[in-house]
Amino acid sequence: MPRPMNFKANAVIYFSGDVSDKIYILKSGRISLNSTDIETGQEIHDYIQTGEFFGVKSALGKYPREENAVVLSDSAVIMFTVPEFEQLASQNTRIIMKMLKVFSNQLRRMHAKVSGLLAEDKQLDPETGLFNAGQYYLGKKRYEQALYAFRRYLTYYPSGRLNAKASEFAQKAEQFAQDYGAGKGPNISGVSTTTEDVSKPDRGRQLSDSAKEFYAAVSVFSQQKYADALKGFKVIAENGTDEEYRIKSLFEIGRCYYSLKQFEACIKHFTGLIQRYPKIPELPDALYYVGQSYQEKGDTARAGGFYKKIMSMSGAGEALLRKVRRAIKALEA
Amino acid sequence: MEMNLQAFERFAVSYPADEIIFCEYEPGDAFYLIQQGRVQISKIMGDIEKTIDVLQPGEIFGEMAILEEAPRSATAITVGPVKCLEFNRANFEILMRGNPAIALKLLKLFTKRIYDQRRRFMILTLDDVQARVADVFLMLNEGQLEPQEETDERVFKTTAEDIAHWAGLSPEETRHVLNHFVSQRRLEVMTDKIVLKNINEFVRFVSSRRKKR
Repeated sequence: MPRPMNFKANAVIYFSGDVSDKIYILKSGRISLNSTDIETGQEIHDYIQTGEFFGVKSALGKYPREENAVVLSDSAVIMFTVPEFEQLASQNTRIIMKMLKVFSNQLRRMHAKVSGLLAEDKQLDPETGLFNAGQYYLGKKRYEQALYAFRRYLTYYPSGRLNAKASEFAQKAEQFAQDYGAGKGPNISGVSTTTEDVSKPDRGRQLSDSAKEFYAAVSVFSQQKYADALKGFKVIAENGTDEEYRIKSLFEIGRCYYSLKQFEACIKHFTGLIQRYPKIPELPDALYYVGQSYQEKGDTARAGGFYKKIMSMSGAGEALLRKVRRAIKALEA
Repeated sequence: MEMNLQAFERFAVSYPADEIIFCEYEPGDAFYLIQQGRVQISKIMGDIEKTIDVLQPGEIFGEMAILEEAPRSATAITVGPVKCLEFNRANFEILMRGNPAIALKLLKLFTKRIYDQRRRFMILTLDDVQARVADVFLMLNEGQLEPQEETDERVFKTTAEDIAHWAGLSPEETRHVLNHFVSQRRLEVMTDKIVLKNINEFVRFVSSRRKKR
């Protein structure tokens, strides 16, 4: 049975390095998770909100705690064992959903940090990366795999800058697979004279047209061509038939305005978007851009208001919350 | 918790041998649970394809796509014929409600991945290359299922290339450090394994280097 427990101020619920299968939820009071930043050695304080679980990762993953859970003022918590937590979560899968979101954010952040320290792991932009994968397989005479990568490229980047090359190579891969088979055949030089188009249908896993256009625009955005990206997203938002990508595009339009430093337009766009679609998952992010825009315009009071709002929302990811905390600190400074 | 997967048969997809399920850098919108066969997860680095893992039935891959449509960080290729259940955001809700056990399994998978990445990051933040290599051994030791706690000696079935990969160093640099350790009689390097004479001495060595930062 989950057990209610009370802790006095200054008590420590668990210490970094402890191994335990206990998971807690804060009912009332104030608790801080104190840990050390791996890179800088600085102490990090993460305050637990009422109703929030803590100790989940280390208990589920069966590894030592990574922080001290320090009670700041008299607190009431409920303690679960892992099986008890699993039972609760199975009955209320929203809990799992929320945690998956938080965890996947944390994992992405960790990935990025690790890649940042690894020369060999240099992340390419997705467009180049996918094309390179195709080239790699083609060079290794693994034609089926090369064909897959190039077809994907052509699907996602129908007007990509490597489009002509990708078409050529895809065709070569297909032809060589038939003529020679995997692992055989002459080497293919970097340049080819074939101009025929590859138009064989994909294996029934095509993206909708809106999705394709969306990814094309995303790729333009990632090349920091914000004005062009904005045009692309506007076309999808106005004419798109796929509702999911239409709304995604609407969100991206706001980001484009922000990146173009058109803060007034950014605020106006996101405000309209939020009114029309108050339930979009990107809501906290949208509010963040609005706050940032106000800050850029020098309206710190409004900016602060938006940041506070995000802090009180349940849907905000850990990465965003950190950004917001930093922004609040900057305002106070 | 038992996993009842019969209800999910309609999400099953089959692949022939040696087929790409997804390629690194393509946008991801689905994740997979292997039912039959094995799947190789690999990444192209320069002119080599590095195998990160070979997954078995019951294992999940592509899980990063559940909540974000970010590009795939690795390629998934079938080793032999494979049957998977394919989940995307649309049917994920159904999965969650109908089979929380899979959702919990995913949650646990994330905790493990985060821990592994964090541990790796700790290695990479060490400036001293010797401490980095030593810390890789500590990490490998933590991951061994049967702790050999009676003695200070540890045996690792690993190679200089693998250690170089984890330490973020070039193979030459890594071999240089390993040879240095060998000359100090702290290590023995053999063709298929490396023997570490005193794990606790390495623990002290690494922690002293970490504090100095």
